[in-house]
Amino acid sequence: MTTTPLSSSNKEKAREERFDLSALFEFSSVINASIDLKFILGHFLLTLMGKLLSLRGIVILERANSTFTVENVKGLPTELIGQTLKINKLTDRILYVDHEDARKMPWIRFFRDQGILILIPLTLREKIVGITGLGSSVVKKKLSSKEETYIKSLASIAATAIDKGIVFSQLKQLNRRLDSKVQELNTLFELSKEFNAIFDQERLIKLLLFSIMGQIGASRYFICLQQNGAMNVVTSRLDSPINPSLPAYFPTLSSPQIVELMRKQDRQLQSLLKEIGIHVLIPLQLKNQTVGVMGLGEKMRGEKYSQLDIEFLSSLGNLAIISIENARLFKETLEKQKLEDELLIAKEIQRGLLPAQLPNIPHFDLAAVNISSKQVGGDYYDVIPLGQHRYVFAIGDVSGKGTPASLLMANLQATIRALVPLGLSLGDLTKRVNDLICENTGSDRFITFFWGILDTTAKRMNYVSAGHNPPFLFHADGAIERLDKGGIILGIMKTIVPYQEGEVKFGSGDVLLLFTDGVSEAMNSQEEEFGEEQLQQVARACLHESAGTILSKIVDAVKEHSKNRMQSDDVTLVVVKAMDR
Amino acid sequence: MSSFKIDIREMSNINVLDLKGYLDAHTAPDLEKVFQNLLERKKYNILINCKDLTYISSAGLGVFMAYIEDVRKNNGDIKLSNMSPKVYNVFDLLGFPLLYDITKDEKEAIQKFTSPKKL
Repeated sequence: MTTTPLSSSNKEKAREERFDLSALFEFSSVINASIDLKFILGHFLLTLMGKLLSLRGIVILERANSTFTVENVKGLPTELIGQTLKINKLTDRILYVDHEDARKMPWIRFFRDQGILILIPLTLREKIVGITGLGSSVVKKKLSSKEETYIKSLASIAATAIDKGIVFSQLKQLNRRLDSKVQELNTLFELSKEFNAIFDQERLIKLLLFSIMGQIGASRYFICLQQNGAMNVVTSRLDSPINPSLPAYFPTLSSPQIVELMRKQDRQLQSLLKEIGIHVLIPLQLKNQTVGVMGLGEKMRGEKYSQLDIEFLSSLGNLAIISIENARLFKETLEKQKLEDELLIAKEIQRGLLPAQLPNIPHFDLAAVNISSKQVGGDYYDVIPLGQHRYVFAIGDVSGKGTPASLLMANLQATIRALVPLGLSLGDLTKRVNDLICENTGSDRFITFFWGILDTTAKRMNYVSAGHNPPFLFHADGAIERLDKGGIILGIMKTIVPYQEGEVKFGSGDVLLLFTDGVSEAMNSQEEEFGEEQLQQVARACLHESAGTILSKIVDAVKEHSKNRMQSDDVTLVVVKAMDR
Repeated sequence: MSSFKIDIREMSNINVLDLKGYLDAHTAPDLEKVFQNLLERKKYNILINCKDLTYISSAGLGVFMAYIEDVRKNNGDIKLSNMSPKVYNVFDLLGFPLLYDITKDEKEAIQKFTSPKKL
């Protein structure tokens, strides 16, 4: 037969065991062996709950001044973890939630709502660092003073361990922040190294975006760059299209912007950015000028952008824009170099086409010059002996500049030299030249061309002008003849209307002047052309001189006229003077 | 010069990429090319074995970010396995373990690919 006293003494014994000193020692060694705050708090809570036969427990710690954060719960919803409470004027006595005055301690309601009955302060060096709360279905009454002492000892041991855990977790956090910083610096360092080796804008931008996606975790973005005076979107990944009016805001953007925190006056810009899910704007600047803008969407897991993120992104952006600019300059230099090389080739071709030496023609004095401009136009002149006192004089101007013009000119020369021996009339020859040129070039290329065959015994020249500036024949009596018979410019369309032939006769002392529009249209600083009239005046004044002198006087006058300007077109002149018998 | 190599093993329904060496800004475009190629061939189950990956930089991580959406949109996934602690630390620092399935070994990842998804 069992008796009540026995069972009550058993109960007593069990209670004693729970509050045994050796248990206290064991608790201390377990809890102090760990530096993991989560484990310490968990073990502490479970121990307390075991001692007081409680079904729910909570630990809150002071994380900021008077602000306590829920760190761990048992038997309560885990959503409570992370919640904060403002708690003032705590003492180190154990509080019984139901007996406290909620008017004096409004925060106590929080615990009451969770069914917490006893609050045990955690004291470290006479300061309250936290509170443990326990609810219970067993402990209805107040704890005995012996129990209170025991629980307080437990709390005190725990407080030391918790403190150690907090310091450790802070160190861990600090370490992690350092690691993150190192990672950021690594990224910057790596990119600065890599960017310097890349001269391809597309690849530069790709690497920039990879690094940002990796470092910040944003997966929505756009990049705008100033190109030819306008902000253009060069790349983007967004869920909806960019409003075309957006880039107009960018040239004046001088500092990074967190879209959420934009000023009132930027409401419009803000809403345009929100439309496309952009959270930050980072201006890309060169010499304090915004030449591009980078927009980034939400960070990974929706975290907010921090000031440190913005600083990092700005550094990265500036690094990138410098390299993008360098890449552009590099490309420009390369293209310029290529152009210069090409011009050199063009000059070489042109030089090869012009006669190295003019033939000696009985009874005639000749002089010719071609001064090519920097860009190399397509001027051409030629003197071809035909035999039997006959000579071909040709002058032409190919449209365009550079290598294409030079090549067409070479084509023209080859055609002329191949056709001349056929012995056809100049008009027929010109028709054939025109048809050949038409077949072999696009309609955007054409040639103004004049040629004549001089018979030195008859002192007569038959000529055809295919839209070329009419040469002047200065007669000794003062009359000037314009050699303008002919037809359409070469290369525009196949010959329909036959080329007309003209004929002029040379008296002694007569001077024929062939020229290209580089002479008559040479500009001065007031945008005025040298003009045919002035050309005639200059020539007239020195007709008595040798062909060479006449030529150099004209060249000097043209140079004087356009002295403050760069020569924009080739200057070509041929002077043919009939001498006295 | 840092070196980086990608070997591709095609297993029934999963493409395993063995990354070797340094995945950084310099080598990230190489990995991008492989991803582009896989996506073009509609291979959306991609397992990255990081056993021989010595180093990964943010630019390297960015490549995964650039492709994960497209892959998942097509009911596939990019899973990563066999990371060294050093490489894992970088993933962890930048918060990637929350976004990516990172497993201890290849076997575990393959199982996750083949067994129906748990939500």
